[in-house]
Amino acid sequence: MLTTNSALSQTCSLRLGGHVEDEDVKEKLMAAVVTIAETGEQRITDAKGDFLFENLCSGTYTIQITHASCDTLIQKITLTKDAHYDFYLPHARKVLGEVVLQSQKSPTPGLKKELSGEALRNTRGLSLAESLSTLNGVSLLQTGSTISKPVIHGLHGSRILTINNGVRQEGQQWGNEHAPEIDPFIADKLTVIKGVDELMYGSDAIGGVVLVQPRPLRFSPGVQTEWNTGFFTNNRQYVLSGVAEFTPYKRKRWAFRLQGTHKRGANVQTPDYRLNNTAMKETGLSFTAGYKVKNFTSELFYSMFTTALGIFEGAHIGNLTDLQIAIQSDKPDDVYLGENTYAIGRPRQEVTHHLIKWKGRYAHKGHNFQATLAAQFNNRQEYDVVRSNNNTPQMDLFVNTFSQDLIWEQPINKGFKGTAGLSFSQQKNTYSGRYFIPNYFAYTLGGFYLEKWKKHRLEIQGGIRFDHKSVETTRLRFGGTVIDNDFRFNTLAGSLNVLYTVHPRWVIQTSANLSSRAPYVNELLSDGIHHGAATYEKGKLDLVPEKSLHLNAGVTYTSQNRVLQAEVLLFSNYIRDFIYRKPVPDSPVLTIAGAFPQVVYSQTNALLQGVDASFQWNVLPALSWSGKLSLLYASDRTANDWLISMPSNRYTSGITYRVKDSKKWKQTALTVEGEYVARQSRIPDETFAPADYKLPPDAFTLLNLQFSTTCYLGHVPVTMRMSVRNLLNTSYRQYLNSMRYFTDEMGRNIGIHLAVPIHFNTKNQTS
Amino acid sequence: MKKNFKLLLAAALFGSVTITSCSKDNEEDNDEELITTLALSFTPVGGGTPTTFQFRDVDGPGGNPPVVDEIVLSAGTEYTFTVMVLNESVSPAEDITVEINSESTSHRFYHLPSAASSITVDNLNTDTNGVTLGVNGRVTTGAVANGTYRVVLRHYGATPPDKAESDAVDSPKSSSDIDITFLTRVE
Repeated sequence: MLTTNSALSQTCSLRLGGHVEDEDVKEKLMAAVVTIAETGEQRITDAKGDFLFENLCSGTYTIQITHASCDTLIQKITLTKDAHYDFYLPHARKVLGEVVLQSQKSPTPGLKKELSGEALRNTRGLSLAESLSTLNGVSLLQTGSTISKPVIHGLHGSRILTINNGVRQEGQQWGNEHAPEIDPFIADKLTVIKGVDELMYGSDAIGGVVLVQPRPLRFSPGVQTEWNTGFFTNNRQYVLSGVAEFTPYKRKRWAFRLQGTHKRGANVQTPDYRLNNTAMKETGLSFTAGYKVKNFTSELFYSMFTTALGIFEGAHIGNLTDLQIAIQSDKPDDVYLGENTYAIGRPRQEVTHHLIKWKGRYAHKGHNFQATLAAQFNNRQEYDVVRSNNNTPQMDLFVNTFSQDLIWEQPINKGFKGTAGLSFSQQKNTYSGRYFIPNYFAYTLGGFYLEKWKKHRLEIQGGIRFDHKSVETTRLRFGGTVIDNDFRFNTLAGSLNVLYTVHPRWVIQTSANLSSRAPYVNELLSDGIHHGAATYEKGKLDLVPEKSLHLNAGVTYTSQNRVLQAEVLLFSNYIRDFIYRKPVPDSPVLTIAGAFPQVVYSQTNALLQGVDASFQWNVLPALSWSGKLSLLYASDRTANDWLISMPSNRYTSGITYRVKDSKKWKQTALTVEGEYVARQSRIPDETFAPADYKLPPDAFTLLNLQFSTTCYLGHVPVTMRMSVRNLLNTSYRQYLNSMRYFTDEMGRNIGIHLAVPIHFNTKNQTS
Repeated sequence: MKKNFKLLLAAALFGSVTITSCSKDNEEDNDEELITTLALSFTPVGGGTPTTFQFRDVDGPGGNPPVVDEIVLSAGTEYTFTVMVLNESVSPAEDITVEINSESTSHRFYHLPSAASSITVDNLNTDTNGVTLGVNGRVTTGAVANGTYRVVLRHYGATPPDKAESDAVDSPKSSSDIDITFLTRVE
């Protein structure tokens, strides 16, 4: 077969065909530019991702392929006869802007909000919850500026499932002051979903699911690294983050990734004063190893997250009188103000979370089988303000969780695609120190089945899931009293989503979702003083699972040439047996520190309704205007009253100016954004008993700036970013921040970031 | 394919079995910060038997309600008194007064008899900086009367504590470790 090079080179009539795909999304890449470096010849791939060069001489060529949404691939090939090559481009980490990304996204049934690309990068340095809160409809539940939890359409905590790299995060989400234990730098994409896909993770996602997805492994030989640094002026917070990916040239089936983040911030400054003991420290480390052959992939993932969070000293409350006095003053006492330090004293939290995961995926004749084994070890230590000089935490909680998931994906057949799965998990909780929740063992067993069907303009998805959970609790009181309580819960969930493309520019989607959530151990068995709120909290043993019916409907409009994009989403979430803390004003608990108002976990029927609307209008090629509006009405249907602690209405609007790319400077953009948060006027009626210590804070408007540019130093794109939050240094308080009783929010904060990717895959590179 | 699938299944089950084998449950620790009891002992000046009145909540907050004595004193008498703070949930009981005395600059007892009680308090002892500590002092009773006697222990959390003589009982610089009210009878 082989002929000599010299013989063929004279003919110069070889054909080189090829096919280009996105390696990660497995999509054909249209409009990729394929260049033969030696000859300068170029081809653009067609709709199928194919290209063809003709009349080539035999020899060795350097092929360079570039695409807007992918990293550039450079590969050498030797041509001796007509040949066809498949090229897989790694999905870009650096290059793509959110606008480009949105235009490539195909609409999906069910409610889905995604933060990725430039929009996610603009949030680097913020916590996971703060990053998520840039999505419309997502707000924050805070304890000061260091601790925050995401709130999706008014719901938070155990009503939201957080899926970290495919594994259901099992941390300690008991209280409002317990933030998710995840390093946001792990994520390449943060997605909030409510729809059929949530059934893969649990039946209890009443508020929705947050997916924290790392970028898929690259499997492209060489070493690729990316470095991120940031500095924030307000609390002198610095962040360093690095990721290195490696695939050996001789073992191309393997890919490795090492990622680490370190973040540290000093005490926070409000416009008028600095708050003592609001410093924080956070370290994240993760390692991924992947192995890939034709029909089998295996991935091992380990991550560690550790954080220490200071809680403002002036909010330590001995009893109700103290709380009322602290609340009455406009500003905390000077003894709690003014220290500018990185030191973290008491009260504080120290949290560590380890996750070890193995995932195997096997494909056979269009069927995919996937197994995931995961182990999570979580430790939370809370250090209270103490009288003695001890160094031990007053509360030490451990929760260890093991989970096993099996998924079977069927091939697409006549537009149908089915997915079935089984999940098991075992959890053990132990504690020492102050009583908060009992020791327990919990076992869950769940199964689900999803079916998706697509034809022409119509897409229908349906699914069902069942979970059985058993919880055996034991409280060993000091002195030997044992209190045992066992629980069994069965929960059922179902979902039906419909997407219809009325016209290429108009897409309608609607979904109906049933979820049910078994009560958590803290809701059943809390018994003690909640110092932050100066209340005595008591669980209730006979709580039943919450049942929710979540309906939503949305319409998306995209004008020709994408000059205007707009989206409106309506949702209504009816929750039967909604679990909440009910004040019992006529039976305070008398203690040696005074009398504490009692709150008891109770159930009612709740209705949460609202609208999320957003638009982006590219007024001029360089200028775009965007806006997002989020409204929520949350009521207690039994008491015929509003629910407490629900996010108020808000509207954010921004203008972005994009500078035309030059050879050296690319993606230069400046955004000015105004953020308006209304005063929460829908609060429980206080005619008969006080429901809150203080009225909701006033409405406020913040002005924020965002500037970013990418400078090419040779082949290295260096991205610089500057952000200013609260440009006018406005004093304000947030209704959903428990520190609103005592202090203002953070003042002006200027952030400077630098991101540099450095690649060492020189072997294939000629330029 | 079947073989691979079985392998995955076996691995999953193996995982679930190994991990449920477990360790022993933890017992709740002694909460060193728990205060169960405050006792006031009155000794008549010039001799006599001391009398003690207590606020006791042995099982801590919640559970059984506290037991509170009524303070009964003789009219027209001068007493010296001492405060004793205990954690009686442990055996033997822990004397927290020792801790309070050793950190006298970050603690202060306020003794607040009601106007109607016909009780006056003075001569409170001081901390190492000469600021009132109030672990002991003098009580003088007047005519026969009924009233109340409030005892508050304030704790200064900041470093340095910045405690000053002029600090009111509800000073935002400190927080309450103890805040109880006895009924009184001077007879």
